Amino acid sequence: MAEEDDDTGFDEDVEDGGLGADGGHGRRKRLFSKELRCMMYGFGDDQNPYTESVDILEDLVIEFITEMTHKAMSIGRQGRVQVEDIVFLIRKDPRKFARVKDLLTMNEELKRARKAFDEANYGS
Amino acid sequence: MADPAQVKKDGGMDTPAEEPPGTDAQDTSADSAAVSGESTEGPRPTVEDEKTVLQKDSSAGEDGEGSSGLHPPAVKKLKVEPEKKKEKRQKVDEDEIQKMQVLVSSFSEEQLNRYEMYRRSAFPKAAIKRLIQSITGSSVSQNVVIAMSGISKVFVGEVVEEALDVCEKWGEMPPLQPKHLREAVRRLKNRDQIPNTKYKRIVFH
Repeated sequence: MAEEDDDTGFDEDVEDGGLGADGGHGRRKRLFSKELRCMMYGFGDDQNPYTESVDILEDLVIEFITEMTHKAMSIGRQGRVQVEDIVFLIRKDPRKFARVKDLLTMNEELKRARKAFDEANYGS
Repeated sequence: MADPAQVKKDGGMDTPAEEPPGTDAQDTSADSAAVSGESTEGPRPTVEDEKTVLQKDSSAGEDGEGSSGLHPPAVKKLKVEPEKKKEKRQKVDEDEIQKMQVLVSSFSEEQLNRYEMYRRSAFPKAAIKRLIQSITGSSVSQNVVIAMSGISKVFVGEVVEEALDVCEKWGEMPPLQPKHLREAVRRLKNRDQIPNTKYKRIVFH
Protein backbone atom coordinates (compact mmCIF):
# COMPACT_ATOMS: atom_id res chain seq x y z
CA MET A 1 0.00 0.00 0.00
CA ALA A 2 2.39 2.67 -1.19
CA GLU A 3 1.72 6.36 -0.58
CA GLU A 4 1.14 8.21 -3.82
CA ASP A 5 3.26 11.23 -2.98
CA ASP A 6 6.23 9.41 -1.49
CA ASP A 7 6.98 7.11 -4.44
CA THR A 8 9.80 8.61 -6.39
CA GLY A 9 9.18 7.33 -9.87
CA PHE A 10 6.11 5.18 -9.39
CA ASP A 11 3.43 7.66 -10.34
CA GLU A 12 4.88 8.73 -13.67
CA ASP A 13 5.81 5.19 -14.78
CA VAL A 14 2.47 3.66 -13.90
CA GLU A 15 0.60 6.43 -15.66
CA ASP A 16 2.21 5.50 -18.96
CA GLY A 17 1.26 1.86 -18.41
CA GLY A 18 -2.41 2.64 -18.82
CA LEU A 19 -4.10 -0.73 -18.50
CA GLY A 20 -4.35 -2.39 -15.15
CA ALA A 21 -6.83 -3.87 -12.72
CA ASP A 22 -5.98 -1.27 -10.13
CA GLY A 23 -8.47 1.61 -10.40
CA GLY A 24 -6.06 3.93 -8.67
CA HIS A 25 -5.42 7.61 -8.97
CA GLY A 26 -2.94 7.43 -11.82
CA ARG A 27 -5.38 5.71 -14.17
CA ARG A 28 -8.27 8.14 -13.76
CA LYS A 29 -8.85 10.88 -16.30
CA ARG A 30 -7.37 14.14 -15.10
CA LEU A 31 -10.14 16.09 -13.41
CA PHE A 32 -8.53 19.41 -12.59
CA SER A 33 -5.76 19.95 -15.07
CA LYS A 34 -6.84 23.33 -16.39
CA GLU A 35 -7.93 24.78 -13.08
CA LEU A 36 -4.80 23.56 -11.32
CA ARG A 37 -2.59 25.22 -13.86
CA CYS A 38 -4.27 28.58 -13.29
CA MET A 39 -4.10 28.02 -9.56
CA MET A 40 -0.40 27.23 -9.58
CA TYR A 41 0.33 30.33 -11.57
CA GLY A 42 -1.75 32.38 -9.18
CA PHE A 43 0.12 31.01 -6.18
CA GLY A 44 3.55 31.83 -7.56
CA ASP A 45 4.63 29.16 -9.99
CA ASP A 46 5.60 29.76 -13.59
CA GLN A 47 2.98 30.64 -16.17
CA ASN A 48 3.40 27.20 -17.73
CA PRO A 49 3.89 24.69 -14.95
CA TYR A 50 5.21 21.22 -15.69
CA THR A 51 2.58 18.62 -16.44
CA GLU A 52 4.13 16.22 -13.96
CA SER A 53 3.83 18.81 -11.22
CA VAL A 54 0.20 19.41 -12.08
CA ASP A 55 -0.42 15.67 -11.96
CA ILE A 56 1.21 15.33 -8.56
CA LEU A 57 -0.86 18.21 -7.23
CA GLU A 58 -4.05 16.72 -8.61
CA ASP A 59 -3.32 13.44 -6.85
CA LEU A 60 -2.60 15.35 -3.68
CA VAL A 61 -5.88 17.25 -3.90
CA ILE A 62 -7.89 14.12 -4.55
CA GLU A 63 -6.21 12.39 -1.64
CA PHE A 64 -6.85 15.42 0.56
CA ILE A 65 -10.53 15.51 -0.33
CA THR A 66 -10.81 11.77 0.19
CA GLU A 67 -9.22 11.93 3.61
CA MET A 68 -11.38 14.85 4.71
CA THR A 69 -14.51 13.12 3.45
CA HIS A 70 -13.69 9.92 5.30
CA LYS A 71 -12.94 11.82 8.47
CA ALA A 72 -16.15 13.84 8.16
CA MET A 73 -18.12 10.66 7.68
CA SER A 74 -16.79 9.24 10.90
CA ILE A 75 -17.74 12.18 13.14
CA GLY A 76 -21.03 13.88 13.85
CA ARG A 77 -23.76 12.16 11.91
CA GLN A 78 -22.17 8.90 10.75
CA GLY A 79 -22.13 8.13 7.08
CA ARG A 80 -22.96 11.67 6.03
CA VAL A 81 -20.79 14.67 5.30
CA GLN A 82 -22.07 17.91 6.76
CA VAL A 83 -20.60 21.37 6.86
CA GLU A 84 -20.31 21.35 10.64
CA ASP A 85 -18.09 18.28 10.44
CA ILE A 86 -15.78 19.92 7.96
CA VAL A 87 -15.55 23.05 10.07
CA PHE A 88 -14.79 20.93 13.10
CA LEU A 89 -12.00 19.08 11.32
CA ILE A 90 -10.46 22.31 10.14
CA ARG A 91 -10.61 24.12 13.45
CA LYS A 92 -6.90 23.82 14.18
CA ASP A 93 -5.74 25.26 10.86
CA PRO A 94 -6.26 29.03 11.02
CA ARG A 95 -6.06 29.74 7.31
CA LYS A 96 -8.52 27.08 6.23
CA PHE A 97 -10.86 27.81 9.09
CA ALA A 98 -11.02 31.51 8.28
CA ARG A 99 -11.50 30.76 4.60
CA VAL A 100 -14.40 28.39 5.22
CA LYS A 101 -16.09 30.85 7.54
CA ASP A 102 -15.72 33.62 4.98
CA LEU A 103 -17.04 31.47 2.14
CA LEU A 104 -20.08 30.36 4.07
CA THR A 105 -20.85 33.87 5.28
CA MET A 106 -20.54 35.28 1.77
CA ASN A 107 -22.76 32.53 0.42
CA GLU A 108 -25.44 33.41 2.96
CA GLU A 109 -25.22 37.08 2.05
CA LEU A 110 -25.51 36.31 -1.64
CA LYS A 111 -28.51 34.10 -1.06
CA ARG A 112 -30.19 36.82 0.97
CA ALA A 113 -29.43 39.44 -1.65
CA ARG A 114 -30.78 37.25 -4.41
CA LYS A 115 -33.91 36.52 -2.44
CA ALA A 116 -34.49 40.20 -1.74
CA PHE A 117 -33.91 41.01 -5.38
CA ASP A 118 -36.38 38.39 -6.51
CA GLU A 119 -38.98 39.57 -4.04
CA ALA A 120 -38.53 43.14 -5.21
CA ASN A 121 -39.04 42.02 -8.78
CA TYR A 122 -42.10 40.00 -7.86
CA GLY A 123 -43.58 42.96 -6.01
CA SER A 124 -43.14 45.42 -8.86
CA MET B 1 -13.62 39.25 5.02
CA ALA B 2 -10.24 37.67 5.17
CA ASP B 3 -8.93 39.54 2.14
CA PRO B 4 -5.14 39.62 2.09
CA ALA B 5 -4.23 42.82 3.86
CA GLN B 6 -0.54 42.21 4.11
CA VAL B 7 2.02 42.05 1.38
CA LYS B 8 5.10 39.93 1.79
CA LYS B 9 7.67 41.18 -0.68
CA ASP B 10 10.48 38.73 -1.34
CA GLY B 11 13.77 40.20 -2.33
CA GLY B 12 13.55 40.74 -6.06
CA MET B 13 10.76 38.29 -6.93
CA ASP B 14 7.42 39.73 -7.91
CA THR B 15 5.33 37.61 -5.59
CA PRO B 16 1.62 38.25 -5.51
CA ALA B 17 -0.24 39.32 -2.40
CA GLU B 18 -0.41 36.23 -0.27
CA GLU B 19 -2.93 35.26 2.34
CA PRO B 20 -1.68 36.40 5.73
CA PRO B 21 -0.23 33.43 7.60
CA GLY B 22 -2.78 32.58 10.24
CA THR B 23 -3.92 35.43 12.38
CA ASP B 24 -0.54 36.87 13.25
CA ALA B 25 -0.19 39.22 10.33
CA GLN B 26 -3.78 40.29 10.63
CA ASP B 27 -3.21 41.03 14.27
CA THR B 28 -0.28 43.37 13.76
CA SER B 29 -1.72 45.22 10.80
CA ALA B 30 -5.14 45.70 12.35
CA ASP B 31 -3.57 46.62 15.64
CA SER B 32 -1.51 49.43 14.15
CA ALA B 33 -4.52 50.63 12.21
CA ALA B 34 -6.61 50.48 15.36
CA VAL B 35 -4.09 52.37 17.45
CA SER B 36 -3.54 55.09 14.89
CA GLY B 37 -7.08 55.55 13.67
CA GLU B 38 -9.28 54.89 16.64
CA SER B 39 -8.00 56.91 19.53
CA THR B 40 -11.53 58.16 20.20
CA GLU B 41 -12.65 54.83 21.64
CA GLY B 42 -13.17 54.60 25.39
CA PRO B 43 -11.31 52.37 27.82
CA ARG B 44 -9.72 49.04 26.84
CA PRO B 45 -9.22 49.82 23.14
CA THR B 46 -6.16 47.63 22.50
CA VAL B 47 -7.38 44.51 24.24
CA GLU B 48 -10.74 44.83 22.53
CA ASP B 49 -9.02 45.30 19.18
CA GLU B 50 -6.89 42.21 19.53
CA LYS B 51 -9.89 40.21 20.56
CA THR B 52 -11.91 41.69 17.73
CA VAL B 53 -9.29 40.95 15.13
CA LEU B 54 -8.58 37.46 16.36
CA GLN B 55 -12.24 36.66 16.57
CA LYS B 56 -13.21 38.63 13.50
CA ASP B 57 -13.22 35.69 11.22
CA SER B 58 -14.18 32.94 13.57
CA SER B 59 -16.98 34.52 15.51
CA ALA B 60 -18.98 36.02 12.71
CA GLY B 61 -22.17 34.57 14.04
CA GLU B 62 -21.43 34.47 17.71
CA ASP B 63 -21.80 38.08 18.72
CA GLY B 64 -24.95 38.98 20.56
CA GLU B 65 -25.87 35.37 21.14
CA GLY B 66 -24.56 35.29 24.64
CA SER B 67 -27.26 37.47 26.17
CA SER B 68 -29.80 34.75 26.77
CA GLY B 69 -30.55 33.94 30.38
CA LEU B 70 -28.52 36.69 32.05
CA HIS B 71 -29.38 39.46 34.50
CA PRO B 72 -30.64 42.66 32.85
CA PRO B 73 -27.52 44.81 33.53
CA ALA B 74 -25.27 42.11 32.07
CA VAL B 75 -27.62 41.82 29.13
CA LYS B 76 -27.39 45.53 28.50
CA LYS B 77 -23.61 45.41 28.68
CA LEU B 78 -23.47 42.55 26.19
CA LYS B 79 -25.84 44.34 23.87
CA VAL B 80 -23.55 47.35 23.70
CA GLU B 81 -20.40 45.33 23.21
CA PRO B 82 -21.40 43.49 20.03
CA GLU B 83 -22.32 46.80 18.40
CA LYS B 84 -18.94 48.25 19.32
CA LYS B 85 -17.26 45.12 17.99
CA LYS B 86 -19.25 45.29 14.78
CA GLU B 87 -18.30 48.93 14.27
CA LYS B 88 -14.66 48.16 14.86
CA ARG B 89 -14.85 45.15 12.60
CA GLN B 90 -16.32 47.30 9.83
CA LYS B 91 -13.64 49.94 10.35
CA VAL B 92 -10.93 47.32 10.19
CA ASP B 93 -12.52 45.88 7.07
CA GLU B 94 -12.62 49.28 5.45
CA ASP B 95 -8.97 49.83 6.28
CA GLU B 96 -8.13 46.49 4.77
CA ILE B 97 -10.13 47.26 1.66
CA GLN B 98 -8.42 50.61 1.25
CA LYS B 99 -5.00 49.10 1.67
CA MET B 100 -5.82 46.43 -0.85
CA GLN B 101 -6.96 49.01 -3.36
CA VAL B 102 -3.77 51.00 -2.95
CA LEU B 103 -1.76 47.84 -3.36
CA VAL B 104 -3.54 46.51 -6.40
CA SER B 105 -3.41 49.87 -8.13
CA SER B 106 0.37 49.75 -7.97
CA PHE B 107 0.75 46.29 -9.51
CA SER B 108 2.71 45.72 -12.66
CA GLU B 109 1.01 43.94 -15.56
CA GLU B 110 2.50 40.57 -14.69
CA GLN B 111 1.49 40.99 -11.08
CA LEU B 112 -2.01 41.90 -12.13
CA ASN B 113 -2.25 38.76 -14.24
CA ARG B 114 -1.04 36.61 -11.42
CA TYR B 115 -3.38 38.26 -8.95
CA GLU B 116 -6.31 37.75 -11.27
CA MET B 117 -5.44 34.07 -11.61
CA TYR B 118 -5.08 33.81 -7.85
CA ARG B 119 -8.51 35.26 -7.23
CA ARG B 120 -10.40 33.65 -10.05
CA SER B 121 -9.05 30.12 -10.16
CA ALA B 122 -11.31 27.62 -8.48
CA PHE B 123 -12.15 23.98 -8.60
CA PRO B 124 -15.23 23.08 -10.62
CA LYS B 125 -18.10 22.49 -8.23
CA ALA B 126 -19.56 19.68 -10.30
CA ALA B 127 -16.38 17.62 -10.26
CA ILE B 128 -15.90 18.13 -6.52
CA LYS B 129 -19.50 17.18 -5.84
CA ARG B 130 -19.14 14.07 -7.96
CA LEU B 131 -15.95 13.11 -6.18
CA ILE B 132 -17.41 13.55 -2.69
CA GLN B 133 -20.57 11.72 -3.60
CA SER B 134 -18.59 8.83 -5.03
CA ILE B 135 -16.85 8.52 -1.66
CA THR B 136 -19.86 8.90 0.62
CA GLY B 137 -22.35 7.08 -1.56
CA SER B 138 -25.01 9.61 -0.60
CA SER B 139 -25.72 13.12 -1.74
CA VAL B 140 -24.11 16.13 -0.10
CA SER B 141 -25.40 19.65 0.30
CA GLN B 142 -24.17 22.60 -1.70
CA ASN B 143 -22.47 24.15 1.33
CA VAL B 144 -20.30 21.08 1.70
CA VAL B 145 -19.12 21.43 -1.88
CA ILE B 146 -18.43 25.12 -1.37
CA ALA B 147 -16.47 24.46 1.81
CA MET B 148 -14.51 21.58 0.34
CA SER B 149 -13.46 23.42 -2.81
CA GLY B 150 -12.43 26.41 -0.73
CA ILE B 151 -10.32 24.31 1.59
CA SER B 152 -8.75 22.46 -1.32
CA LYS B 153 -7.68 25.71 -2.90
CA VAL B 154 -6.04 26.79 0.35
CA PHE B 155 -4.37 23.40 0.50
CA VAL B 156 -2.95 23.80 -3.02
CA GLY B 157 -1.71 27.22 -2.01
CA GLU B 158 0.08 25.84 1.03
CA VAL B 159 1.79 23.13 -1.00
CA VAL B 160 2.83 25.46 -3.80
CA GLU B 161 4.16 28.08 -1.40
CA GLU B 162 6.15 25.50 0.49
CA ALA B 163 7.46 24.07 -2.78
CA LEU B 164 8.55 27.54 -3.88
CA ASP B 165 10.41 27.89 -0.57
CA VAL B 166 12.11 24.54 -1.21
CA CYS B 167 12.94 25.54 -4.77
CA GLU B 168 14.50 28.80 -3.63
CA LYS B 169 16.37 27.08 -0.83
CA TRP B 170 17.91 24.60 -3.26
CA GLY B 171 19.00 27.46 -5.48
CA GLU B 172 16.81 26.52 -8.42
CA MET B 173 14.25 28.40 -10.44
CA PRO B 174 10.56 27.91 -11.10
CA PRO B 175 8.73 26.16 -12.81
CA LEU B 176 8.32 23.75 -9.96
CA GLN B 177 9.55 20.23 -10.44
CA PRO B 178 8.09 17.12 -8.86
CA LYS B 179 11.00 16.87 -6.45
CA HIS B 180 10.15 20.27 -5.00
CA LEU B 181 6.54 19.27 -4.54
CA ARG B 182 7.48 16.00 -2.89
CA GLU B 183 9.83 17.71 -0.48
CA ALA B 184 7.14 20.27 0.28
CA VAL B 185 4.66 17.49 1.02
CA ARG B 186 7.18 15.78 3.26
CA ARG B 187 7.67 18.98 5.25
CA LEU B 188 3.98 19.64 5.55
CA LYS B 189 3.42 16.09 6.73
CA ASN B 190 5.95 16.62 9.48
CA ARG B 191 3.98 19.64 10.58
CA ASP B 192 0.76 17.66 10.48
CA GLN B 193 -0.75 19.95 7.89
CA ILE B 194 -1.61 17.08 5.60
CA PRO B 195 -4.30 14.72 6.89
CA ASN B 196 -3.22 11.12 6.96
CA THR B 197 -5.27 8.25 8.28
CA LYS B 198 -3.39 5.48 6.49
CA TYR B 199 -0.79 4.80 9.12
CA LYS B 200 0.24 6.25 12.43
CA ARG B 201 3.50 8.08 12.70
CA ILE B 202 5.22 6.99 15.91
CA VAL B 203 6.86 10.02 17.45
CA PHE B 204 8.94 8.45 20.20
CA HIS B 205 10.38 4.96 19.80
